[in-house]
Amino acid sequence: MLSLLLLLPLLIVMILNLPLGRFRSLGFWVALVLSLVQAYTVLFAPAALSGNHDVLGRLFSLGLATDNLSRVLLLSISIVTFASLLVGRQTIREEKQRINFANLVLIAMTGMNGTVLLTDLFSLYVFLEVSAVASFILIAMKRDLNALEGAFKYIVLSAVATILMLSSLAVLLLISGSTSFAAVGSAIKAEGRSPLVVFAVAMFLCGLFIKGGLVPFHGWLPGAYSAAPPAVSILLAGIITKVSGIYALIRLATSVLGPSNSINALLMIVGTISILVGALAALGQTDLKRMLAYSSISQVGYIILGLGCGTDLGIAGAIFHLFNHSIFKSLLFVNSAAIEEQLGTTDMSQMGGLGSRMPVTNVTSLIAFLSTAGLPPLSGFWSKLMIVVALWQSSHGGYAVLAVLASVLTLAYLLTMQRRVFFGILTDRWANVQEAGFGITLPATVLALITVGVGVAFPLMFNSFLLPVASFLK
Amino acid sequence: MSSELAQFFWVFSIAIALVMIAGFYCLLLTYNLIRALIGLELLTKGMTLFIILAGYVTGHTGLAQAMAITLIVIEVVLMVVAVGVVLGIFRHNRSIDARLIRNIKG
Repeated sequence: MLSLLLLLPLLIVMILNLPLGRFRSLGFWVALVLSLVQAYTVLFAPAALSGNHDVLGRLFSLGLATDNLSRVLLLSISIVTFASLLVGRQTIREEKQRINFANLVLIAMTGMNGTVLLTDLFSLYVFLEVSAVASFILIAMKRDLNALEGAFKYIVLSAVATILMLSSLAVLLLISGSTSFAAVGSAIKAEGRSPLVVFAVAMFLCGLFIKGGLVPFHGWLPGAYSAAPPAVSILLAGIITKVSGIYALIRLATSVLGPSNSINALLMIVGTISILVGALAALGQTDLKRMLAYSSISQVGYIILGLGCGTDLGIAGAIFHLFNHSIFKSLLFVNSAAIEEQLGTTDMSQMGGLGSRMPVTNVTSLIAFLSTAGLPPLSGFWSKLMIVVALWQSSHGGYAVLAVLASVLTLAYLLTMQRRVFFGILTDRWANVQEAGFGITLPATVLALITVGVGVAFPLMFNSFLLPVASFLK
Repeated sequence: MSSELAQFFWVFSIAIALVMIAGFYCLLLTYNLIRALIGLELLTKGMTLFIILAGYVTGHTGLAQAMAITLIVIEVVLMVVAVGVVLGIFRHNRSIDARLIRNIKG
């Protein structure tokens, strides 16, 4: 069953590319059903995902494994893919482009599922590349100069990241003679702090920082997010960079490297810089999607900060914030897709008073931004609270204060966004704007309900679900 | 590692280092997008050689071969996409000069 999560999307892509004529346009619905099935399996039939003893898994000797962390990620992958597919259906006009979009989303889904499930550094690299190549094509799909430029920057930086990761892989192969998480982990532990190990770990971390768009290496991210078509921005911001950068970082830090003070200190410094630089840069943006991209950098900083804290609560908070972030950031990008679709622009200085014309987008955007800024009782509040409390408990009070202060900055730029776009007086230019179609308001509503629901149900989930997520790592 | 193997290792790794330096030099100095891709290609080739060397030295030649072949396949896919993007840029600008694609800023 576990191997089906990898093989099924791949098989469907192969079938869809046979000369089937009109049936190829069914690909979109197949992808949509697949994302729903994945969400259903993770939520209601987790037994099907444990164990690796099915025939297919042994045939391909994939070496898959799930734990709580990968289940959380599988759930976010399915939700974000669902939202992105529906928005893509609404916003992509040409039939042929739509088929291509569905195919590429399926390939990206294979890549992400693989990244989440595999237990080997080299396979991790392979599946990171699968989702990265799919996202390059998705970004460049509009074929205007900005999209191509964003895609090219992403390609070059991502290639540099993979070269760093490969150099680290080669060194680890030299040390341990294998690339599986367990073997590499024990080899690193046995070797201690030899220069080779430090070099390999530093290279791998740098590669993942580039993939995840953390601050010293974030150059590609705003361009790629804002130049991509609306549906692709949702997929990229919501899940692809989170899986390929942040999930891999969490996995590496917890399962392979083990607790280490110097790595934790590095993660906390990079996380704090990302939070501050992302938030400050977001304040100065006039383009809606660029602002959301910088906000994404800032929120990813919180995840890394929680991870760097190293305690159970900190790691649980990081994973919870990763899930919440993928939900509310996708929601914000769904809203930006609605605005881009109805207005044809994402320049915030030209907007105003759209709240009365686009009520659903207005309300869901309000929920998403309050959750991002960390206002109770929405989901973002609880995950940020967990991270801040964990920092305080592990006597990193300075970082905790910075995290709380940066939350005010988050509120500032998102409030500016909300006021410029939705509040105020409606200008004559937008007097005839309609609410976006069902394909955009449906995912927006679903994502907003998840944000509110997770926030309200948090006290129920805390002991039964969230703390076990971190404690499996021990 | 026997002394003969160690000698082999160092000679081989100096060659790899030269390939990598050439790749970085190419990537950093050029304004030509195709040349930048060639630089990336050189870097990846250097890494492939490094993995083969690591496999040979530790006696895991089978594993290293499998990795090298996988790497080559992925690299080709990546390069096809990258050259496609460069082709798209060429159709807009009639040039593959990196200085002309600076629309996105900040």
